[in-house]
Amino acid sequence: MNRRKFLKASAGTLAASLVVGRVGSALAQGGLEGEDIANLEKGLQAALGKGFKDLVPSKDVKLTAPTIAESGANVPVEIEVGLPADQVKAIYCFCDKNANPLLFSFQLLGGGVLPYYATRVRVAETAPVRAVVETKDGKLLLASQGVRVTVGGCG
Amino acid sequence: MNILIRFNPAKPKAGEEVRVQIVVQHPMEPGTRRDASGKLIPADHINELAVLFDGQPIATVKPGPGTSANPLFAFKMKAAKAGQIKVVAKDLTGKSGERTADLALA
Repeated sequence: MNRRKFLKASAGTLAASLVVGRVGSALAQGGLEGEDIANLEKGLQAALGKGFKDLVPSKDVKLTAPTIAESGANVPVEIEVGLPADQVKAIYCFCDKNANPLLFSFQLLGGGVLPYYATRVRVAETAPVRAVVETKDGKLLLASQGVRVTVGGCG
Repeated sequence: MNILIRFNPAKPKAGEEVRVQIVVQHPMEPGTRRDASGKLIPADHINELAVLFDGQPIATVKPGPGTSANPLFAFKMKAAKAGQIKVVAKDLTGKSGERTADLALA
């Protein structure tokens, strides 16, 4: 392959991958305000050893959080999973812009515990809160909700 | 560490869903806040909360620094039989607290 051909070919693939990358990520993220996938990725890797692309958005995960929170220090979050209890291993919650993106993890150990969890979290600044549900067969289901914060909860 | 446990409904019927609410009185310092003189306040938050039913572990919560002060932890379980819920909380400084509550059926 000579130089001219090589340049032509590589420019083509580069353009194609750019287009695919943009469409793919837009679908997955839904364009929520204050997204920070790079920071989220750190937390995902530390907690699960997986990246954002391994998460599958799912209707079975219901995340309830306010769209506007006056104080980021106290944001109520409720996660409900529409799957049988014996299929759910753990519930994780992340926030894109927090210094430590992992907000909490909740492990189900049996004994009749249902896949539901509610707590109050700190949100550093306007960013999406994400619920990640780990199933017994190793799938990671995702639900996201943008939370707009007037006063940050970590500073 | 003061821990409060509440059941909703207070006395569920056998097989009914019961919501267990746990509130721990703890400042949950995330380690990113500064005091008046600009010094960082060291992190001090609960990092493990174990829930046991009649001595059997049924759930573990691992809150990070992103959990609010005086945190609420709520989960649901099927009330198959009466028993005792025990909650054990540990924080980063090594302090711990525990509390038991009896789940009675209607």
